[in-house]
Amino acid sequence: MSKIPKQQEKELKSKEQYRSNEKFAYRSVIISAILGGIFYIISLLFNTGFITIFMNKNIFWNFIDVTVKVIAIMLFFLFMITSVGNYKELIGKPLNWKELLLLFLLSIGQTILNIWVFTFTLFGLAIILIYLYIVQEL
Amino acid sequence: MTIIPFLFILKGYGTTEEIYSKFGDSPVIDGYIDLFSGEWNKATKEEFSLEDLPIKFWVMQNDINLYISIQFDLEQGYHNITEFIGLIVSNSSSEDKEDFIDAKIIQFSNISVDEFNYFDYYINNSIFSIDAEINGVGAANLDGTTSTYEFSIPIKNTLGNVEDAVLDYGNTYAFNITYGDVPLYPNGVKKSTIILINLSSLPSSLPSLTNIILFAFCIVVFSILGILYGFYIYKIFRLKANINRVKR
Repeated sequence: MSKIPKQQEKELKSKEQYRSNEKFAYRSVIISAILGGIFYIISLLFNTGFITIFMNKNIFWNFIDVTVKVIAIMLFFLFMITSVGNYKELIGKPLNWKELLLLFLLSIGQTILNIWVFTFTLFGLAIILIYLYIVQEL
Repeated sequence: MTIIPFLFILKGYGTTEEIYSKFGDSPVIDGYIDLFSGEWNKATKEEFSLEDLPIKFWVMQNDINLYISIQFDLEQGYHNITEFIGLIVSNSSSEDKEDFIDAKIIQFSNISVDEFNYFDYYINNSIFSIDAEINGVGAANLDGTTSTYEFSIPIKNTLGNVEDAVLDYGNTYAFNITYGDVPLYPNGVKKSTIILINLSSLPSSLPSLTNIILFAFCIVVFSILGILYGFYIYKIFRLKANINRVKR
């Protein structure tokens, strides 16, 4: 016969489950933040014009240039929102609209030098936000 | 060296056509007008005649070269084996004979196999002398009944070179477009006409105030993001330490 009472065993299991979830959430915070950082650097290099290898050659390379810039910003936003969301969950607070708005504005702010990047990023971020809203509601 | 009087420029002409060059991407100078890549799409395109020979004329520039392409049709068998197209360049918009000091010529040596040479001549007292330093590039091609000639002529970087007409941005230059069928200059010239080409000015290299403000704003956004990111990473490590403390 087990020396640990059933109630205590349940609590232990629940505690272990919580720790496992906590470990997973923390790992997600770290990995997402690192990936967000990588895409921040890519976005910095392309959107400020440090790297111009695709720019002003022809329409095809301009399209590639805009695509790289838009994808870098969108992935930055996606990974950072995942990381910040999990971080807030770990400290027991929900992700509020102010943080979301700040991240959104700072992502849009990266696009200011190119009207096409601005337009496509705005569209892409709107889709991500709608998706997140729907996922939260369901 | 060809010692032949430079007479053809004295032929009579009507009103001189003035063509405005536009900025565009540099085309490949290979004697082909590549419609797929649209390499000449940004060029100014004109159609006029070298006397009775109708030609299509493209002119375009970038910040290094002036690009000119000439295309014309002759019926089967009428293209001479040693056909050539020359650009006799004046050092200004002046159409006086003595101001045409430079000649760029694409000369077919055998048109049936697309063999050609590009020549850069200096003209002094109607005498054509080959330049010590060849400036520019040319290429030609015969496709069926259509022959195409493409020239690339440097702008401004021939400064100090007395053998070339120095082209400069924002100025107009007289070009004598010549067609001939034997490699003798100028006696081989059969048809010619003078046009004026107006080179566009270089776009201002100074960025506008709006661009400076936008760039500064962009840098500020990235700086704020960098600072916030650093602070966030610090908070993550603080969180890890707090979790470990709670576990203990």
